[in-house]
Amino acid sequence: MTGSKIRSGMTRLVPYAFILPPMIYLMVFMFWPLARQMYMSLTNTRIINPNRGRFIGLGNYERLFDDPAFYLSLKATLVYAVLAVVFGVSLGVISALAIDRPFKGRAVVRAILLFGWAVPNVAASLIWLWMYNDRSGVFNRITEFLGLGRFPWLTSTELALGSILAVTVWQVAPFVMLVVLAALQSVPHEVREAARIDGADGLSTFRAVTLPHIRPAIQLASLLVCVWSIRRFDIIYLLTGGGPVGTTSTLVVKIRQIAFEGHELGMASAYGAVGLVLALAIAALHYVVEQRRMKWMSR
Amino acid sequence: MPFKKLTLKLSRYLLIGMLVVLAGFPVYWMATTALSLNSELYGSGQVIWPQLQNFPQLWHELGQVPIGLWLFNTLLIAAGGTVLSLTLGSLAGYALSRFRFHGKGLVGFLLFMTQVVPEALILVPLYAMFITSGLLNSLTGLVLANVGFSLPVACFVLKGAMDAVPYEIEESAIIDNCPRFSVLTMIILPLIMPSIAAAAVVAFFAGWNEFLFASTFLMDRENWPASVGLASFVGQYETPMSAVMGAALVFSIPAIVFFLLIQRKIVAGLTAGAVKG
Repeated sequence: MTGSKIRSGMTRLVPYAFILPPMIYLMVFMFWPLARQMYMSLTNTRIINPNRGRFIGLGNYERLFDDPAFYLSLKATLVYAVLAVVFGVSLGVISALAIDRPFKGRAVVRAILLFGWAVPNVAASLIWLWMYNDRSGVFNRITEFLGLGRFPWLTSTELALGSILAVTVWQVAPFVMLVVLAALQSVPHEVREAARIDGADGLSTFRAVTLPHIRPAIQLASLLVCVWSIRRFDIIYLLTGGGPVGTTSTLVVKIRQIAFEGHELGMASAYGAVGLVLALAIAALHYVVEQRRMKWMSR
Repeated sequence: MPFKKLTLKLSRYLLIGMLVVLAGFPVYWMATTALSLNSELYGSGQVIWPQLQNFPQLWHELGQVPIGLWLFNTLLIAAGGTVLSLTLGSLAGYALSRFRFHGKGLVGFLLFMTQVVPEALILVPLYAMFITSGLLNSLTGLVLANVGFSLPVACFVLKGAMDAVPYEIEESAIIDNCPRFSVLTMIILPLIMPSIAAAAVVAFFAGWNEFLFASTFLMDRENWPASVGLASFVGQYETPMSAVMGAALVFSIPAIVFFLLIQRKIVAGLTAGAVKG
């Protein structure tokens, strides 16, 4: 009797035996550091002695909100993320629609279109740095050949963010394409054929038949591209280092600079807290949209 | 009508051609640059065709760069992260797929959250933690930091695969009092080998590509993975550009090959995490 009771008690513990090791791991290496980061933002911790900082309340935040560099960084982050979504998702959707129907050599085309997504970030940075090279880069060779002269792709305040966006779009559009291609498989071909036979032109067929099927995929891809843009460090750091005059210094680039070049860990953590709020806000937005869609679908 | 159809077809092929050039050119240019001479790159102008006859010279130049050592370190980091992510990820995936328990919703939320947290946010606290625990400047510390981000992805991929395995398959084993851990390792995991392979590739190349943690935590040149080593070429002009591009190409090819092989699975894994949260 008691034996089986103990057994059933044990059985109830079984799921925890599976879930605890990974969760403890994440607590130690993800959530404890995150909490610690929030606390550090309230201290004057410096890199010489990272485990001993004095509690200074909201001092870092006061300085942060008074600093024009912070607003510049916030603006760079938001502009970069929004434009990455707009251009990356559009190009991804266009690519998906272009290669959706079978044609000769489709497998090869599809593979080549995925290159930007597959190349490691650091390698991508190196090749784009070389292509953007002031004197010998291919872009300036072309513009010089066309008689337009050279452009300071990465060192002008007007061009730098756009140049980084080009690399970003090259990297994320293939992913969007894959997500949309998967969704396109759920569009019944007969329906599209029927619409075309009824005399609907390409655009209205797309709007009435195709778009409703791929809209969830586009939403999801947009969320992921947005989140990745806020997280992205290596490309920006290697191409411009946050310059010129801070026009490309997104929050994550700023965190690393303040911490390991300015040696102010407390201040870097305050930037981190803002980044966390931003990331969570986007995740929450996604959650709300998702919930509303489910409600709408069940109605 | 046939004329309109023809132009439509033509413009579609034109669009595809443009997309192929846009997407493929940087990689093509990486190869072409690797096979160029420095005098061309900085002087007379780069030849736009790959000059295969320059391969012996590239091979010689690559010998001057410690790319072998860097790739070896990269391999250790990537493999260590893969083993740890898959082990912990399959435990979490099995728990989420097969059991109801208190806090399941919270676990799902926390796993989802790891996907929106920028790595840079925990850079500073991890640095402080690694100083005290002696993990700074070690590959072990780097792997431990990386796995926090690759474990949840592995978990999502594996949970999705386990959900598709019918419960009846493990039921008889459970009735026979087979321990649940053995059910997982002897019955479930062998059935989802393709997904395990996909999760392994994702985790492996997360470690292969990682740069932020590696460049912050590893000071000794002997410990550098290829990502940090290659980045050290930025703003440094002693190494010929052809060697830089050659090394970048060697570093990229495995990633390209494996990403192309399991593209669909990767997409399924990454999107599942964002939806189920």
